[in-house]
Amino acid sequence: MSPPDLAPTEPILAARGITKRFPGVLALDHVDLEIQAGEIHAVLGQNGAGKTTLMNILFGLLQPDEGALYLREQRIRFRSPHDALARGIGMVHQTRRLVSAHTVLENIALGHPRTRGFLNLRSTRLEVEALGNRYGFTVPLGARVWQLSEGERQWVEILKALYRGAEILILDEPTAALTPPEVKTLLAGLQTLVRDHGVTVLLVTHKLPIVMAVSHRVTVLRSGRVVARLRTADAAEESLVQHMIGRDIAFRTMNRSAEMGRPLLQVEQLSAFNDKGLLALRGVSFSLREGEVLGVAGVTGNGQEELAQVLAGLRPAASGRVRLDGRDVTRLSPLQRWRMGVGYIPAERIEVASIATFSLVENTALNYHFDPAFIRRGLLDNAGLEQLTQRIVTTYNVKAPSQYARAQHLSGGNLQKLILGRVLSRNPRLLIAHLPTQGLDVEAAAFVRATLVEATAEGAAVLLISEDLDEILSLSDWVAPIYEGRFGAIIPRAEAGAETVGAMMAGVGMKEAGVR
Amino acid sequence: MWELVARSLEASTIFLFAALGELIDQRSGVLNVGLEGLMLFGGTAAFITAQTTGSHALGFLAGLTLGGLLGLGHGFFSITLRGDQVVSGMGLWILSFGLTTYLGSPYTGPLGLGRIPSLWGLSPFFPLGVALVAITWLLLFRTGLGLAIRSAGENPAAAEASGIPVTSIRFLCVALGGMLAGLSGATYTLSYNPVWNYNFLMGWGFVSLALVFFSMWNPWILLAGASLFGIMWQLSLSPELILPGVLSRYVWRTVPFAITIPILCIISTPWFRTRWGLAKPEALGRPYAKG
Amino acid sequence: MRLGRYELTLEPRPARPAIFTALTAVVAILLALALSSFLFLSSDAPLIDAYRAMFSYAFFNPHGVLATVHRSIYLLFCTYAFLVPLRAGLWNIGLPGQVYAGGLAAFAVPFVLRTHNPQTLALPPGLLIVLMIAAAAAAGAATGGFAGLLRAKLQVNEILVTMMLNSILFWLVAYMIKEGGPFMSATGEGESFGLPSSLHAPLLLGVPVTAVLALCVAVLLDLLFAKTALGYRIRAFGENPAAARYGGIIPVALSLLVFLLGGAFAALAGYHYFAAVPGVYKIPGNYGYYGDLGFYGIIAALIARGSSLGAVPIVVLFAGLSVGARFAQGELRLPFGVDYALLGLLMMTFVASHVLYHFRFGWRRIPSEALQPVPTELPRG
Repeated sequence: MSPPDLAPTEPILAARGITKRFPGVLALDHVDLEIQAGEIHAVLGQNGAGKTTLMNILFGLLQPDEGALYLREQRIRFRSPHDALARGIGMVHQTRRLVSAHTVLENIALGHPRTRGFLNLRSTRLEVEALGNRYGFTVPLGARVWQLSEGERQWVEILKALYRGAEILILDEPTAALTPPEVKTLLAGLQTLVRDHGVTVLLVTHKLPIVMAVSHRVTVLRSGRVVARLRTADAAEESLVQHMIGRDIAFRTMNRSAEMGRPLLQVEQLSAFNDKGLLALRGVSFSLREGEVLGVAGVTGNGQEELAQVLAGLRPAASGRVRLDGRDVTRLSPLQRWRMGVGYIPAERIEVASIATFSLVENTALNYHFDPAFIRRGLLDNAGLEQLTQRIVTTYNVKAPSQYARAQHLSGGNLQKLILGRVLSRNPRLLIAHLPTQGLDVEAAAFVRATLVEATAEGAAVLLISEDLDEILSLSDWVAPIYEGRFGAIIPRAEAGAETVGAMMAGVGMKEAGVR
Repeated sequence: MWELVARSLEASTIFLFAALGELIDQRSGVLNVGLEGLMLFGGTAAFITAQTTGSHALGFLAGLTLGGLLGLGHGFFSITLRGDQVVSGMGLWILSFGLTTYLGSPYTGPLGLGRIPSLWGLSPFFPLGVALVAITWLLLFRTGLGLAIRSAGENPAAAEASGIPVTSIRFLCVALGGMLAGLSGATYTLSYNPVWNYNFLMGWGFVSLALVFFSMWNPWILLAGASLFGIMWQLSLSPELILPGVLSRYVWRTVPFAITIPILCIISTPWFRTRWGLAKPEALGRPYAKG
Repeated sequence: MRLGRYELTLEPRPARPAIFTALTAVVAILLALALSSFLFLSSDAPLIDAYRAMFSYAFFNPHGVLATVHRSIYLLFCTYAFLVPLRAGLWNIGLPGQVYAGGLAAFAVPFVLRTHNPQTLALPPGLLIVLMIAAAAAAGAATGGFAGLLRAKLQVNEILVTMMLNSILFWLVAYMIKEGGPFMSATGEGESFGLPSSLHAPLLLGVPVTAVLALCVAVLLDLLFAKTALGYRIRAFGENPAAARYGGIIPVALSLLVFLLGGAFAALAGYHYFAAVPGVYKIPGNYGYYGDLGFYGIIAALIARGSSLGAVPIVVLFAGLSVGARFAQGELRLPFGVDYALLGLLMMTFVASHVLYHFRFGWRRIPSEALQPVPTELPRG
């Protein structure tokens, strides 16, 4: 089946007038979406534009408040994913929906109408293998999911959807956790599915290159509304960006002073185990000077979390040494590190970096409850904490009803700004920032980056751990791609290009982590 | 000697039924720490019904029903309201503890009905227990429903995305678990020790809860654990069989409980966890919200 | 949940004005009282008489009032024993065991120093009393701390450990005071020896000094949580252990500390009841009843949402209800366990009020549209 021609034909799947409200938020506002059979249709938008909500409605996980869905121009209503699956719509979510402890085969068989009653895994296995051969890809059916890589898990989910008889595949941010080679494989595979097997693909993403590379048509969402509907061939990148964001944003490298201070941090052959008992960090070495930024670039799951936690004292090192100012701090507790001037901004802002049910002031105290300046005879200096919180709120432009509002009422961006302000108010000498702009809108992300740069101007050394190559390249003095717990190399910014770094993130051409 | 073994196995069925129910519960992701409460209520309801109607069968039915209802109550609080499962469980326990003491006190004393016939001295509940273990194992590991239950307990989001109605499955398991707990209590008051006294379980429900953890959520290991515990308890009642004259009988009563503690410690060590940690249903105790 | 064309919805309440806390507490208690009317149905007396008997005895009769006061002190300590770990997100249901430990340790002092025989008095009585209190607190702390340590170091479920300890200590007390155990009284009635009058806790206006202690602790605990750095750390850990650890709080130390404190408080309850209440001054044969009574402390702490001063009026009410219920039970010849039943009812209404506090029920008509039947044939592939 060839991609649809100029003349609009009857859409295979359509959503008309979809509106969805959550408490305090209008997530989708009269959205119309039309998908043609046999095309790759991209839904483009930033984080928070409503893409995932729309997909959840298409898949039956949510019910729209207004509007309706049409399959081949027949009005339908999905009460649950069960209905959507029965109708030939399969979805591969942003986060893996696989049971890690079970085998691939068990995951594929889960919920399939043919596996009601007694399980006959043998016949299921034969059927699945046949299907895989037909579509041209294989997955290890006997392996347990936790043993597979992200890319492999993605394919398991796709095969699972196809085994359920999906004619329409919805993929929500499929490339989010993949290395560049895995992305290529995925896109090629999708094109094959569409071209040779008549599958229709609905691809949801915020990444322009993906859209330009494979989609036939693109719908752009912004703040819950459809702002553009184009054929990809007719669309220009800049105009798509403008639609997504609403105004022009120029990407540029941050201006940074070239002054570097004395050596501050030395990490030697650092190794650590992850929660499953596997070695996640393998002999990482680097050093940082005051005012320097080391950007650790990698896809989540390659040891970054463990690296950040070991440096912050939240995870014991299996071997290796960490020296701050010449002093061996490898075995120091988190509290001792805070006192020594280490500041840590964790990736999980709600689960770890803040306490949702506490007020802003009480959240500030999270980094100050041990500080003698704020404790008098065992009593917390509430007035002092209030003043500090007020300063943070003003300086970092944190929008909140009041200082005593609970942290859970803050939006992601404002919460991150609060956390950033709180950590930076301690004037840390070493700042560990793990995914500092994840999930933030463009304005908030730009603010956070600018703040990090300011911190370096004050002499702080920054370890920036991020998945966003642009962010790394625009902020770092040195770039270290990380793959399976090792640094590929530590490259000075001037020599680091997106392709080189991207390749190393995928494990290509791994060299010894050299001494600079 | 055979009498001792038979009696131990009968005691073990009490632990077995309750723990089996809790195992099914936990496999689907719901934690019920108030197991003892359901057992108490089931046992009391069974006792009162049996004594007033003169029928064992009706007594068991009452125990099963009440256990199931309480299980559904726990389900409502934990699943629908997404409340803290520990709070709900504790609440059920205190509730049952308080109410059964009052409701049962007029009936304090022996049941007064004929004993339930036994097979060569062995209570019929033990083979029933073994059968239930086999059925549970078959259900959990050899049927599509069992796969759905286990998935609901590991990753409810994944299960939901595969079309599994997680909420319904959890309610089913909580009801089943409740009924088994009620059965356990009824077995105690109608067969094992047919004399009603307030707080007749003396903490056995919590031992059953511990047994579920020990068993690593495997029904067969659970059977072994329950049998072991039954033997320990029976020995503690008649210590003169192995160590005559040593220590007062009260001290012996503490032995089963005291042994549980080091076992709990061992299964919590990192060595044990990394080897068997994968056995714990990942989503146990966590409320699930759709979408 | 749907019924025909309508749907019952549950939405979390967004803003909760502070007045709601107090209101739901009041509603819970009133509801329990109302429900307890069923308990009195089995007697012939009219309902009003039953309630009047309960309340007037507990709060207006000189004997009753005194009993209420003594019981309030006991329950207050039990409440603190549960409340402190609760703030840290931990459950100390080992109160009965800790109460027993406290009682045993307190009686161990005169036993060991052979001063339970009124003729021999090795040390000044004042010192002995202080020693008894200290021993009780230490024993309770050790019992609680044991569970806390296991929880902190090995993540062993504290509910299981404390329940095991409850059973173990229950039987240990039985061993000590019955059938020829070391603490058994000379008359051999299955209870412990009585304390000589010199070792009775001093009385203040007819009430043991433990009352003062209990009230002081109420104030201190509220201050601890509201104002001190340590209290902040406990609260932070209770709300979000991962974030607390991130902020430098040490889980092991904190878990251990709250259980040490909790255990100590429960043991003081034991000291109070067994060694300080006039008319008792021994470990009675029905000591299990007092262990069970401690569970009222759990409910009081939950209803008061962790505030120790807020728990005081609730505890006094519970104490009065349980004393009055016992009295009414005797007067109206009700079956044993009215106070236990009340305990159960209170738990039920507390949970119900908790639900109402957090949720709003709604009734919604499902938007009508032609619902397409879902095909039942298997999809291809």
